Amino acid sequence: MTAVTGLPVTPSPSRAPARLSKGHPMSRVWNVVRLHLTNTWAMLVTPGIILGVIFLANLAIWVIITRAAGADAPEAIEGTQYSGAALFIFVYMMVVAVQAITVTFPFALGYSVTRRDYYLGTSLLFVLLALAWSIVLAALSLLEEATNGWGLGGHMFTSIYFGNGEVAPRLWIPFAGLLFFFFIGAAVATIYMRWRMNGMIVFWVVSLILVVGLAALVTYTDSWPAVGNWFSTNGVVGVASWSLVPTAVAAVTGFFVLRRATPKN
Amino acid sequence: MTHPIAPDAVVHVSGLTKRFGSFTALDSVDVTITRDKIHGLLGRNGAGKTTLMQLITAQDFPTHGDVRVFGETPMENAGVLRHVCFIKESQKYPEDWRVKHVFASAPHFFENWDADFAERLIADFRLPTRRPIKKLSRGQLSAIGVIVGLASRAPLTFFDEPYLGLDAVARQTFYDRLLEDYADHPRTVVLSTHLIDEVANLLEHVIVIDEGRILIDSAADDLRGSATTVVGMRRVVDAFVADREVLHRDGVGGLASVTVGRLDDAERRAALEAGLELSPVSLQQLVVHRTHAGSAAFEVSA
Repeated sequence: MTAVTGLPVTPSPSRAPARLSKGHPMSRVWNVVRLHLTNTWAMLVTPGIILGVIFLANLAIWVIITRAAGADAPEAIEGTQYSGAALFIFVYMMVVAVQAITVTFPFALGYSVTRRDYYLGTSLLFVLLALAWSIVLAALSLLEEATNGWGLGGHMFTSIYFGNGEVAPRLWIPFAGLLFFFFIGAAVATIYMRWRMNGMIVFWVVSLILVVGLAALVTYTDSWPAVGNWFSTNGVVGVASWSLVPTAVAAVTGFFVLRRATPKN
Repeated sequence: MTHPIAPDAVVHVSGLTKRFGSFTALDSVDVTITRDKIHGLLGRNGAGKTTLMQLITAQDFPTHGDVRVFGETPMENAGVLRHVCFIKESQKYPEDWRVKHVFASAPHFFENWDADFAERLIADFRLPTRRPIKKLSRGQLSAIGVIVGLASRAPLTFFDEPYLGLDAVARQTFYDRLLEDYADHPRTVVLSTHLIDEVANLLEHVIVIDEGRILIDSAADDLRGSATTVVGMRRVVDAFVADREVLHRDGVGGLASVTVGRLDDAERRAALEAGLELSPVSLQQLVVHRTHAGSAAFEVSA
């Protein structure tokens, strides 16, 4: 324990500075990233554990199928290429984004962080998390392929949504997908922080009207085949790339909504 | 736009108005907070104390008026805000955090953070650092805020009723540590509180706010002498206070106790010669009299 006395008296560091040091903008933004990662459980450990448990459950199912189907097993297990087992992580990350903002925004403002630095730091965190998780998912998909579906021919990380060719699309698809869910979650959370329940009601009503309206438009103009065509011609990689448009819109919207938000209880 | 601001002004607020719908929380407030002093921001519930602090710290947006902190507008101004610490009455912490996470993250945001001092305060308040925030008592939550506010040593620190749930011993610890550390590291402190008597000796400057207006803005020493209670036989007291403004009146049988404004030396002598007793008025009584409120409003205990 350090002695109480002997603290520097001149120049006293706690005096209001004559010229206000702003600190490096990047270090201010990075501090927000570190704030989010103070407790790594929600962002890294918990989803990791859930992923592990789901994986083990899938392994068990593949073993059961292999035993039960006998000679038909390879064909039966081929159906796991439509497995959505790893998709939970996208929804989970949307929840993480919502929680990260609703909880740490009022807290960060108490630490005298500007709204701008807060949003930039939070966005940087989301990009880094999307990158980290897409590397994990891509690595697992390569491993799954190399081990011929963990020796059972199963698909969890090589399901059709994740691509099974080059390394690049295996990284790109989950990366773009995670970004989409992060920033949609972020935009919804900023609307809540700014306008609370009223904002949520308006947002969901307007969203519902838009979705129903679009569906009606497509139906009345007999455009469903065209919509289907669009998805099949773009492929999973193309759709992932196109998702960056709504992701960017959500990210920019979130920024401007949060700039005028207040941390009311 | 330039303002004639006193050189030692840390905060300068002019014509500040904040409305929430039809409710006016602050009504054209002018106030100056001076460097390296402990200020008391006093007032009843809903008087506008928290709103004023939220506007000064750029947590909320003014309807009208101007706020300057360190001579600049604080809104989205990292240079200003980095030197400000605002400890809120009911600060919420991330759900999954433990106490230690607060003290791990705070140093990134306050450049004067003193980790040793924080350690000592954690021991003083007997705060269990490994406990999840969710499982803390109200008083332990308040202790976290108090420790962050003290150990951050921000040049401008706001404590908004920081004592909720703290017992008398812990509150005294807070006042003692604040005063000790303030002596070694002078800084500007604004303490918003209901427990006026407890902090009366700490305060160098008193700002009283009521219904969104500044009622008193004065050095604590001036304020203490600004009223006197005259006690004695009712007839004699009534004669003495006849043409004075009476702030408060009490009486039992033939005795009366009347609080009036400042008395000069001659007046004090006259009162004593008439057989009256003079006694000082506590800061709390003064604020109660001035806000024309029942004292009940200020007896809300923590």
